[in-house]
Amino acid sequence: MGFLAPWFLLGLAALGVPVFVHLLRRHKTTPRPVSSLMFFERGTQSSTRHRRLSYLLLFALRSALVLLVVLAFANPFVRRAAADANGRLLLIVLDNSFSMRAGTRFSDAKQQALALLAAKPPAQKAQIMSLGGQLEVRTQPITDDTQLRVALESIQPGDGHASFGELGRAMRTLAQTVHGPIDLHLFSDMQHTAMPANFADMVLSDNVTLRLQPVANRPAPPNWTVESVDAPTALSDPKDPKRSRVQAVIAGFNTPAETKSVSLVVNGKTISTRKVLVPAAGRVPVEFVPLDVGYGLNRCEVRIEGGDAFPTDDASVFAVRRSDPDRVLLVHALGDTRSPVYFGSALSAAAQGSFVMQSVAAEQATDLDPSKYGFVVLSDAVTLPSIFEHTLAQYVAKGGSVLITLGTSAARGTHIPLWGGEVKDTHDYARTGSPVSVGQLDFSYPALEQVQPGPDNGGWGVVKVFYAAVLDADQARVAARLTDGTPLLLDKPLGEGHLLLFASGLENLTNDLPLHPVFVAFVDRAARYLSGGQSLGGSRLVDSFLQLRAAAEPVRAVPNVEVIDPDGRRPLSLSEARTAQSVRLERAGFYRIRFANGRDALIGVNPDRRESDLQPLPEDVQRLWTGSSGGGADQSAGAASIDAKNRTISLWWWVMLFAFAVAVAETVLAGVYMGTQREEV
Amino acid sequence: MQRFLDPNVLAGISTLDLLAKTVVDGFVAGLHRSPDFGFSQEFAEYRAYVPGDDLRHVDWNLFARTERCYLKRYRGETNSQLTVLLDASNSMLYTSGPPKKMDYARYLAASLFYLAIHNQRDAAGLIVFDDEVREYIRPATRTGQLARLFAGLERAEPRALTDFGKPMKHLQNFLRRRGIVIVISDFYEQPETIVRTVAPLRFHGNEVVLLHILDPQEIRPVLRGSAILVDLETDKRIEVVPEYARTAYRAKIDAHMEELRSRARSAGMDYQLLVTDQPLDRALREYLSLRQAEN
Repeated sequence: MGFLAPWFLLGLAALGVPVFVHLLRRHKTTPRPVSSLMFFERGTQSSTRHRRLSYLLLFALRSALVLLVVLAFANPFVRRAAADANGRLLLIVLDNSFSMRAGTRFSDAKQQALALLAAKPPAQKAQIMSLGGQLEVRTQPITDDTQLRVALESIQPGDGHASFGELGRAMRTLAQTVHGPIDLHLFSDMQHTAMPANFADMVLSDNVTLRLQPVANRPAPPNWTVESVDAPTALSDPKDPKRSRVQAVIAGFNTPAETKSVSLVVNGKTISTRKVLVPAAGRVPVEFVPLDVGYGLNRCEVRIEGGDAFPTDDASVFAVRRSDPDRVLLVHALGDTRSPVYFGSALSAAAQGSFVMQSVAAEQATDLDPSKYGFVVLSDAVTLPSIFEHTLAQYVAKGGSVLITLGTSAARGTHIPLWGGEVKDTHDYARTGSPVSVGQLDFSYPALEQVQPGPDNGGWGVVKVFYAAVLDADQARVAARLTDGTPLLLDKPLGEGHLLLFASGLENLTNDLPLHPVFVAFVDRAARYLSGGQSLGGSRLVDSFLQLRAAAEPVRAVPNVEVIDPDGRRPLSLSEARTAQSVRLERAGFYRIRFANGRDALIGVNPDRRESDLQPLPEDVQRLWTGSSGGGADQSAGAASIDAKNRTISLWWWVMLFAFAVAVAETVLAGVYMGTQREEV
Repeated sequence: MQRFLDPNVLAGISTLDLLAKTVVDGFVAGLHRSPDFGFSQEFAEYRAYVPGDDLRHVDWNLFARTERCYLKRYRGETNSQLTVLLDASNSMLYTSGPPKKMDYARYLAASLFYLAIHNQRDAAGLIVFDDEVREYIRPATRTGQLARLFAGLERAEPRALTDFGKPMKHLQNFLRRRGIVIVISDFYEQPETIVRTVAPLRFHGNEVVLLHILDPQEIRPVLRGSAILVDLETDKRIEVVPEYARTAYRAKIDAHMEELRSRARSAGMDYQLLVTDQPLDRALREYLSLRQAEN
């Protein structure tokens, strides 16, 4: 024990004040004259003793008060060993990512974590977390060993991809709320693919001491995996060799060159097998032609035959929906004959498109039922029959989608069907001198996602636009803009459906897009996006999100969605099924989903293939990481022992609290005493 | 008028003659008309004439109306003599607030003198004593007597101890003519001793009145904690606790006053307790009452 400000101890001289008041001054009683002492007697001894007792108690309280205040200013402290159970938080993080399924990694890690927990001092607080696709907090900092053990044992291996960067960010956030030292024990296979691109994301706060508990052996065992599968989401003609094919890539990690058998399994039945020579630690493509599947939703799988160190990742699942070609309705102005030609040609040329287009003039569309079509295209049709426009609005509200293009007719009428806005102006670039090109593209937009960024904007840069309508982009997502900033491609959700607006035409009069190859790709992606077919099948990665309903405000009663995971359970509660906008695909396997627009989907979910690379972090990187944390690089196994450093604990607060209590007692006692005197007066 | 009798008001008056005039004028003006006071030639009764009676006392008007001879008799009236015995011991210096007991006694004596000489034309005298007779002014009605009495009061500064026995022996010699004797003191002596030493004054036919002057703090003392008390006469000191002053002392002083009153009455003397925060009229009323009874 010591004092942080010992000079304040000079204030102990103030103890002389109560000594003077009680022990010295009280003997100096001023004599009081009286006429005669005839009727007076000396005070009895008992009464005087009682009064003296009161004085002494008051004197003791006042002296204690002065002493405590002086001590508080002197700021006393005690040194305690850091092994104090109350001082450090034991944080156990168990990696339950997909790679932990390899061998006995997960069970080993859990046993080590349980052993560490058993060695924990009873009074020390601990917290359990799991690191999978995301960092999950299993318990709050508690001392209950039973609760901690149950939380630890309840962790099961998952299918997500761990990221040490996310762990670092979470620890930095935690360190802002937990001000004491934290002992972080990470039980993991230390996959090098879990390392973020930037090492700074892994750096921990100063009060976090990282102790790595690796469970993987070196070197990493050989492992083959199906790295990727390229298969049609929807198929209308299995005999079409251009579309009915599956292309897979077989990759080996830390593997020798070896011939592997790769099979295509459809609905549990192997329909084709290929033998491929996988080079040492290399990749090889495999193609299955044709993809012969039945009508409806088909569960497909590309599988590597023969085991390896990590058999769980030897298959990749995907879903293929076979159906008749979707019908597309193109409504055009009466004199517009070029748009159906160009759009229909692009639609039929699209590699994976399964669409049949029907074109009709706007005046003849009155009796058409849009619900029979996968999506509707309004080509320069700024004036529609009112009955058809109303039917079309209901169609969109229920989940249908419409592509609206604005050709030269936009200059005549300002009203845009379904869109809700008006044409504010038109730009006739041909008359002003020079056409403009496409300046900005949102490459994340589904209709443009096949376009790669580049100097020519993925082919869009060479497109010349001669005529474009100008409209208000409020409440709409702008996917493309011209070089002068005019919005060219806009998306607006409406009910459960979508409106995609192209501010120019589909013919070669208002732009030369139909003459460029990018037009086919655009039509293909836009058609699949508008028909919703791409979300009804195919494959996704674990921990990706699937949109269940349109983000727009519902225009009618909210329909339920239904999600059934690979284990047959429904991950969404009833209330979530009415409100959830999206669902996180946490498990590997097939998800059956019924969207809010009533369409059914089957989606294959695969783990992130980075989890198949079992190579651990290099030793020097591990040392660098532990060295970056506050506690140094002590990594002794089962390190339940904690550094026996001394730490200083200030007692200022407790002394002041005690002084306050003494002050209250002194006030009460003095009040009682003075109250007696007032009564006498 | 009552405010002119308030001791606090009187303490602000510098001279005794003005003070006495203020008190007595205020007191007399406040009296109701009474059959006992205010007439010097007062009718008493009619009596049938018998031979040998003085014919000057025959009521001839009555004889003319009734042809019966009656004598008209008047209440005989004589001048009285007032003697004030003033205790001037040190204990009379005590005060818990103005006025001092000694000052209160002076106001009282001055008022009595003024009432006696100026209003009643009685002879008035003064004896100042402590443990001996310090001053004696013979009772008289002559011109300047009031001024002499006031001067004697001014000179009566307290000193020494109270001893009733020693001066009272000399007082026997001074008080040969019957009259009214008023003893003004705080009577810090055993009641038995006081009455025994004062009672001989009564043997000469004097009406004796004991005016007991006490300060309010002497009757109900208040102590804030233990205190050292100093006797003004003996300079003796003792420590006293508040509990005693609240209980035992009060009982003792009450018993002392009651015993003094009882013994005085038994000896044919009047007793009046005068507290220095009370008006003076009680003492003046007592004097007039005694004078009336004497006549």
